[in-house]
Amino acid sequence: MDDILKEEIISIISDVSGFDVEEITLDTNFYTELEVDSIKAIEITVAIEKKFKISVRDEDVPNITTVRQAIETVEKLLTEEKADEKK
Amino acid sequence: MRKNNQTYDVVIIGAGISGLVCGCYLARAGMKVLVAEQHFKPGGYCTSFKRHGYAFDAAADCFGGYRKGGTTRKILSELGMDTKIDIVRPDPTNIIITPDYRIFFWIDLDKTVKELQTAFPDEKNSLEKFFHYANDPYSASFVSVKSWTFKKLLDHYFTNEKLKAILSIPLLAVGGLPPSRMSAFIGIKLYSEFLIDGGYYPKGGMQVLSNAFAETLQIMGGELRLSCLVKKIKVHNNSITGVILEKGGFTPSKYVISNCDARQTFLKLLGKDKLPEDFYLTLKNLIPSVSNFILYAGMDQSFDPPVNTGAALFYSDHYDMDKAYLGAQKGDIEKYGGYALRIADDKSTINAIIPAPYKSKRYWQANKHKFLNRLLERITQYSIPDLTQHIVFAEGATPATLYRYTLNYKGASYGWAGTPSQLALPDFKKPSFMKGLYLTGHWTTLGIGISGAAYVGYDTARLILRQEKIMKHL
Repeated sequence: MDDILKEEIISIISDVSGFDVEEITLDTNFYTELEVDSIKAIEITVAIEKKFKISVRDEDVPNITTVRQAIETVEKLLTEEKADEKK
Repeated sequence: MRKNNQTYDVVIIGAGISGLVCGCYLARAGMKVLVAEQHFKPGGYCTSFKRHGYAFDAAADCFGGYRKGGTTRKILSELGMDTKIDIVRPDPTNIIITPDYRIFFWIDLDKTVKELQTAFPDEKNSLEKFFHYANDPYSASFVSVKSWTFKKLLDHYFTNEKLKAILSIPLLAVGGLPPSRMSAFIGIKLYSEFLIDGGYYPKGGMQVLSNAFAETLQIMGGELRLSCLVKKIKVHNNSITGVILEKGGFTPSKYVISNCDARQTFLKLLGKDKLPEDFYLTLKNLIPSVSNFILYAGMDQSFDPPVNTGAALFYSDHYDMDKAYLGAQKGDIEKYGGYALRIADDKSTINAIIPAPYKSKRYWQANKHKFLNRLLERITQYSIPDLTQHIVFAEGATPATLYRYTLNYKGASYGWAGTPSQLALPDFKKPSFMKGLYLTGHWTTLGIGISGAAYVGYDTARLILRQEKIMKHL
């Protein structure tokens, strides 16, 4: 896992949820621990999409419940994009 | 410049519902709060006024999100206001009328769905599914439609074009967009918090709600100054230092929360030179929502309308919502084809509202009466045949009027247009380039309507309380 990526994503989650960066770990659950609701989930998703210039599939968003899953999703999308560029 | 100005923890610009809610929560947690409002009464679009002895709601004429666990209920009850306001709700809450259909939204959702199923037997199961989906205001599954239009959502459930149009008529009226342009998320939120759980009305008028928030703010130790225009937000090294009040000069504050329109906040109060280039470009290209033309009429005592009182009545003489939207943008009442109408419970007044273009002050001076008369003619034609015989007086508010009272950009009624690409934009709630600055209300691109504005206000307060590590009231 890329540390800079991890830091940037946690910083976005912290900004939207209001929880301190220190309170957010890889296994933190958005919905049960960070009081994320549907609009906050959209805020986080859009902020991540703009920051990394990626597009998360709408239907995948409800399945991303932990910070780790969010980071892995972004990593996967960035890798796919790189692979696409090489083609 | 006046000396010995007080220092605040938070200055909130604008006493709209969102600013008031936010101020109440921050003051309750012990922060020193000033809410500065340019108008002489609090409420923004949630205000009332009197003319010739009749009382009118200026713009918003009911609210939603008041079911058990609903946003507005939660906020009013946490702030101890639910016992102070008498809240009534008509049944039906909403009625949609077209040349072929008359659809009622009852307090009992099952009844509503059953009647819709009788009207559209070919969509029986889809109606059940759609309303089941829309009835959960906290559904995380709403997230999965974040880039959809409401049209895509309707197409996902239904095939009957007339039904799809009927379900869109109230959204164009209370959200300002046709389904082809409205974000599915905004649309479904309007269903869950406004159409299914709407129609709530504070006895005495909408101003009662705003006044109750203003009073609560002061009980909690916050300060409200009316007729108090903020001229500038002051900044040092990308950090907020306070505001400049038109009357009162520099007022230091750790946080500034803007409940006024986003363009004004960034371009006028902050200044273009304080904005990062890419943010400025984003801001410049955003599209505001439509404005409205609002009719207020005082009725004589023998007025006995043939339509339900209290309920919001949404009329449309056709089913082409894109055509209606284009008509609204051009100020073409015929092409728009409809109106939203509400007759007061005591039948003393009527309010009617249609989307309308901003245009110049001169345009509205020349066209206001034409607009008013045309709207009255249409209501007479389609809803109340003896309307004009009972009108004691009628007056109209134009987009220019809405601008004058709220300073919202182009008299916009719902903040930025609620399209999928303008949903949840980063930096419109907590700009990353300016420490201590927050926005709240419908210009944050996060929610519309009174329950939406109230939610954002509550949420902005929570963000600041977390930042300040004041946890006891979270």
